[in-house]
Parts: sequence; structure tokens; C-alpha cells
Amino acid sequence: MTDHDPIAEKSDEKLAREARAGSRRSFEELACRYKRRLFVYLRPRLGSDEDAEDMVQDTFLKIYRNIDKYDPAYRFSTWLYTSANRLAIDSFRKAAAARDKSADSSGRDIPDPAAGYEVETGATGVWNAARTLGADRYRVLWLRYGEDMTVEEIAAVLGRSRLAVRVLLHRARTSLVGRLDPNEGWSVRTRSGAARQAAGR
Amino acid sequence: MLCTLSRWMISRAEDTGKKLPRIVERHVRRCGVCGDLARSSASLSSRLRAERSAWLAKVPDFASGLDPEREASMSRARDAVVAAPAKPRRPWLALRPLPVAASLIVLAAAGIVLFRVIPREPAPTAEDRVAARAAFKTLTSAPEGLQGALDGAESSLDRERRILEKSVVSAVDFLQARLNIKIERKETAKSL
Repeated sequence: MTDHDPIAEKSDEKLAREARAGSRRSFEELACRYKRRLFVYLRPRLGSDEDAEDMVQDTFLKIYRNIDKYDPAYRFSTWLYTSANRLAIDSFRKAAAARDKSADSSGRDIPDPAAGYEVETGATGVWNAARTLGADRYRVLWLRYGEDMTVEEIAAVLGRSRLAVRVLLHRARTSLVGRLDPNEGWSVRTRSGAARQAAGR
Repeated sequence: MLCTLSRWMISRAEDTGKKLPRIVERHVRRCGVCGDLARSSASLSSRLRAERSAWLAKVPDFASGLDPEREASMSRARDAVVAAPAKPRRPWLALRPLPVAASLIVLAAAGIVLFRVIPREPAPTAEDRVAARAAFKTLTSAPEGLQGALDGAESSLDRERRILEKSVVSAVDFLQARLNIKIERKETAKSL
């Protein structure tokens, strides 16, 4: 007899349909599949790992409460990321308002939410380089390559136009190519460098 | 300028999966910077996808389930949704009686202003029908009278036609004189 778990083979949409019908286990499987993915998506925007974990849990809570509204005609990931994005925006606004109040009273500087992540995780590689591009560019790259979403789906998640998403993706890709380590063969030559190389041939 | 456009097209081709236009392909072959970008973009996407798992693995682990407090809250929320009997819907009129009444009054006033209510004429009685039949019979049984009425109508039409004919003849004369041509009338006008 095989020991595999059939629930692990089900698609996200099927699990979401089952969760809508009341299956707690299906929902837990979805939460298990997406918690890390949501974490890496939300983390650059929030102040700390703890904030990101809280946001992931809040997102799942919201999704669970509203699972009846899920339309299986659309991808589950699009719906999930849209909810997460909205929650993150709300939370960011509240936090910004709170920080404004405290900064007014104490006169202290506001720390950069994305700062410290690299130190904490010690991460390297292309995704870590992507994270340093800024929250917006990192998010579109994650949705495009981490979640394999189309430009249209990304636009729906972020609430932006398709053109805006294309522009963001373009800037993110060109910046990322420029930032990657030249030793790994990822440098973009400058015009003068290319000319020198051509002259040396 | 062409470099900027080419880079945009290279980036766009990554999203659409379409081939680069020939002009851009030619430029990419000639321009080192754009050529590098095209190659790097193609390998960048595969590298981003390949390193996705490693990036996720670096995420500090946190509770796989939801936190107990949230989980309890989640259960309560879910149970409340499942267990709560469907609330009987209140009639919409009862929800906001004043705005509804005001809207109805406005609609009625608008209706009165826009559509004047004209009382319908009463249906013809049996006597009216008899009178109408008699008048019809009188008309059909007096061909002279009918012919006279038709002649009257025709004479006014004939007058109208004569006026039109004069205008056409005058226009033809003008054209003949102006263009130095001759226009002949093929046949006489048919009578009405």
C-alpha cells in the first residue's frame, strides 16, 4: 500500500472548493502551501519577520472568513495575493499613521522596514539581489517568477494597470541584471566597455 | 533612442513570449549592451525560477498552523458562518421608508409632468356605427359626388405638377444656353 497523501496532489483551486464546502483540512493544506510564499512576498514591505508572520496569519484568517466568496473560475493564488496586498496596504497605512504620531512626540527617525533582512537571513543569490531593488520591483518579480502569474494577474493583484506592471517588470529586470555579480556572468556592459572589448579583439 | 526601445521590446518579449521584431534583432546583434541585456534577461528568468525554492527555504520557520488564539477566532468565525441560520430578509420598503416615499413622490410628479394624462375617448356606440355605415353607403351610392371630390383632388395635384414642369423646363433652357447643347424631350408627360 502506498503511503502518499492524496491531499498533497490536489490543486489549489480544488482545495479551495473543498474549504468552501467546510473542509478544514483542505484549508490547512492551502495555508501550509502558501505561508512561506506569502511571507517572502510581504516581508520587504513590513518592519520585521514577526510583522510579516502576523500579516500572513491575518491573511489566512481573512481568506478563511471569506472563503465563500472565492470564485473557482480564477486562480486561488491571485485571490490570496490580492487579499494579502490589501491587508498589507491597510496595515502599512495604520503603521505609518502611528509612526507619524510617535515621531511627532518623540522626534525619532523612522527605521526602514526592509532594513536588516539580509543580515538576519544571511541570504544571497538572485532573489536577495531582487529584494534590494525596492518593495514594488521585488513584488512584481516575485509574482511573475515566484508565482508564475501573467501580467494581467499581477495587475489584478496590485490594483494597477497592465502597462504599469510591464513598466515595473522592465525596470526591475534591467536593474536586477545590472546588480548581479559580474563574476557570475551577469554584468551588463557599458558602451565604453563594449567598445574596449571590441577594440581588443 | 533605439537602445531604449530595444530594451523595452526585449523586456516585453519576456512577458508575452513573442519573438523580437526584426529591427530589434538586428540592433541586438550590433549593440553589445542590448545584446548582453537580451541574453541576461533570458537567463535571468530561468535563474529566478530555479532559485525560488532555495529562497523559500531560507524563510525562518514559523508555526505551520495558525496561532492558537487566531485559530480559535477563526473557528468561531467559521462556525458562526456555518451555524447561523439565514436571516429573514426585511422587505426593502421597511428598511428606509422615508427615502422610498420621497422617491415615489418624485417619480409620480415626473410622470405627470412628462406624460400628460389624456382621457380616452369613449368607444363608438351602436348608434354611431349605424350612422357611419349610412354615410359610407351614401358616398358610394353617389358616384357623381365622389367623382367630383376626386377631380378636385386631382386638379390641385395637376397644378402642382405644372409648376414643377415649368421649373424643370426653365432649368433645361438654362443648361442648353450655358453648355451649348440641345436637350430633347422624349415623350410627353403622363397624366396623373
